[in-house]
Amino acid sequence: MVSFGFVRCIKCLSVAAGLMVLTGIAFIYSGLYPMGADNQHTKLTFWVLETLRERSISRAAQDIEVPLDLDTPARLLRGGSDYAAMCASCHLAPDKNETDFTKGLYPKPPNLTMTHLDHGDPKDQDKQYFWIIKHGIKGSGMPAWGPGHTDEQIWNLVAFLKRLPELTPAQYQILTANVPE
Amino acid sequence: MKRHLLLYLIALPALVLTLTAQAHDPKEHMNEKQTPDCAAMKEMDHSKMNMNDPVMQAMMQKCMGKDTKMSSDGHDEAEVKEPAKHKHK
Repeated sequence: MVSFGFVRCIKCLSVAAGLMVLTGIAFIYSGLYPMGADNQHTKLTFWVLETLRERSISRAAQDIEVPLDLDTPARLLRGGSDYAAMCASCHLAPDKNETDFTKGLYPKPPNLTMTHLDHGDPKDQDKQYFWIIKHGIKGSGMPAWGPGHTDEQIWNLVAFLKRLPELTPAQYQILTANVPE
Repeated sequence: MKRHLLLYLIALPALVLTLTAQAHDPKEHMNEKQTPDCAAMKEMDHSKMNMNDPVMQAMMQKCMGKDTKMSSDGHDEAEVKEPAKHKHK
């Protein structure tokens, strides 16, 4: 008798799971989900995507070896000019609060002049910055800079990002400006 | 009268063509290369400057011309010491 009840329960669960899958597929094909970047995710969707992103990056970046010479003038200068060219339009400069990109992008790109992402250990933060810059993030505006850039160029950017929040507008201008030919 | 009309017929398309060409000049779309505002360094509070700070050293290198010029692909060819090479997945 117990085994008969168990089989019935399994059948019920299978039917319920099948119905859920079919409902999900019907929802996907219905076109009802709002895809506009000006329509924010629900809290649950946001939590799921954010947790998925953070855990994935943390796992993927854990074995990256951080160079010992990140805090050098050479890296700051090289990373600075690349930051201004590649990143500042989304992640801002010390004297800017928003750009046309930051107004419309969703998810909103982090303002890297204000805060660092909270990754606890600074070494973990360096690893994760490196991984994000190199591989980008799916479903956001963050491209993978790995194609077309060497690891050294990416580490230079990481070196600059570590010091960016403490730079004044004048310091930022000097570090990121190009020397005239 | 005919000469005036002919003049307008030639001048007007020529003007439109010139303006169109200017608007699509790729240089119009390029960011102006900023030069470092080294005069701002003189106005900074020198008593609070730490000469051992890599940010300060980098600014000094840039303003003293040691950072040299940029290559055409936007990456500098500085005379500064090459950082150690690393390869990661």
